[in-house]
Amino acid sequence: MRILSDVVRGAAVTLRVDGAAVPAFEGETVATAMMAAGKGVFRRDGRGAPRGLYCNMGSCGECMVTVAGRRVRACLTEVAGGMEIATDG
Amino acid sequence: MAEPHDLAIVGGGPAGQAAALALAGLGLRIAVVDEQARPGGQILRQPPASFSVANWLPGSDHHWLKDQAARFTALTEVEWIGRHSVIEIARTGGSFALLAEGPDGIRPIAAHRVLIAGGCQDLAVPVPGWTLPGVYAAGGIQAFLKSQRFIPGDRIVLAGTHPLQLLIAAQIVAAGGSVAAVLFAQKRGAMIGAMIARPWIAARHVLTLRTAAAATLALKRAGVPVRFGARLEAIGGVDAVTGVRAGGPAIACDTVGLCYGFVPQSILPRMAGAAMRPAGHAGGWAAVHDAWMRASIPGLCVAGETTGVAGAPAAAAGGTIAGLGIARDLALLDPAEADRRAAPVRAHHARLLGFAALLEDLADPRGFLPTLGDDTIVCRCEDVNLGALVPEFGGSANGIKLATRCGMGPCQGRNCEPSLLRLMADAGRPGDPGFTQRFPARPVPLADLADPA
Repeated sequence: MRILSDVVRGAAVTLRVDGAAVPAFEGETVATAMMAAGKGVFRRDGRGAPRGLYCNMGSCGECMVTVAGRRVRACLTEVAGGMEIATDG
Repeated sequence: MAEPHDLAIVGGGPAGQAAALALAGLGLRIAVVDEQARPGGQILRQPPASFSVANWLPGSDHHWLKDQAARFTALTEVEWIGRHSVIEIARTGGSFALLAEGPDGIRPIAAHRVLIAGGCQDLAVPVPGWTLPGVYAAGGIQAFLKSQRFIPGDRIVLAGTHPLQLLIAAQIVAAGGSVAAVLFAQKRGAMIGAMIARPWIAARHVLTLRTAAAATLALKRAGVPVRFGARLEAIGGVDAVTGVRAGGPAIACDTVGLCYGFVPQSILPRMAGAAMRPAGHAGGWAAVHDAWMRASIPGLCVAGETTGVAGAPAAAAGGTIAGLGIARDLALLDPAEADRRAAPVRAHHARLLGFAALLEDLADPRGFLPTLGDDTIVCRCEDVNLGALVPEFGGSANGIKLATRCGMGPCQGRNCEPSLLRLMADAGRPGDPGFTQRFPARPVPLADLADPA
């Protein structure tokens, strides 16, 4: 959940994650926006089991998603209005 | 390619910033590369510039970090290259060629000297159920709190051996979140024993201990159970976390933070061919250095957690020494002046390393790690479980990598290598040097490699 009491976030924007609209605020990472929207599955592993973000600092690669044809780490990628994100989840 | 920088610093945390500040006004052109948009490292993981956070990180132990970041940001000789990951370091003709990957692709950075101050990461600890969404490195949860003001779950359990989990739990509670329990695998008496074995060190660092005590009190007031001797056995759930078992009745939760200590980010110094040593109880590799933080490769310096995990104040002290050493080597400071400036920092550094050693002892994860089943995944990237690894333990880590794909995924073995080496040692094969480090040091879009900027 977003902490509301002590923060003024950036402007509201909307992303699309696997085609679904996801609200976010400028300055948030793609990972935060996805998880705040209940979309915490970033991929399926070789067993078909869901995987979430793990390290949140760019080290593990568990949160990789596709943005504009590039595979990027969602925890290091800032949102932008209209961004189209594809997961492997 | 642009004119080489005099110095490239990898990592804009306390160590990298301190080195740049020690070199201020000496006329060097310095590039500082960091994966985050803003300086500070993980310890001062700043909110984005578009956020306004009231009373952000209020504790007095953060004042000097904020002050350092402000002074660093004001340096005119520094080119700040945020949002970039260094994916390669190569030594060519007496200088260094780095490749940094960022939002717009790959950018080459040439530099006569390099300081690697790349920080650390949470020790990744395999436990049955740890690949479920909702299980995080504890530092990842803290990063959400610090920089995104986001709590990744409604009912959080922190489990491990490192006292930092008390602080993280208190931060979650202070932010309005709910912590179901903080579970220490070791007994309370063992932690206190490690402390009173060296009382003079504990007394000198009373401020840090007071922070832990204040966190414990805050958790008590919030009704959060802090249990000792509660070794994590398994994380339960089918598609999401539903609870943990750690002896006694299961604890219901939707989120778990694993907090067993930290290992250096070692891939870049290893890629550069620098001599390394075992980093400490948690595992991993630290770069070997001399009194001026020079690594075994000419022109390469190391500082901060790259040299062994010892916390932000020690990292900053090491960074200052590295900066003074670089100025001395470039004859920008005469040796006597460099010595004079370094002397108090060295004394401070030594005291801090003493405290770090105490903290490492009382957080020692060895003997408290979860027991793995044959089907417990060790390498998250390539889904390699313990059962697949065991028959290969007679070989080297590199051989096991080829045979099983353990360590071959996007994390390049950062998560699984400490576990693999520990399991190999337990199986009678200690002393393996680990995986050979390969390009790229961070996962990189293939399109960027095909079409460098």
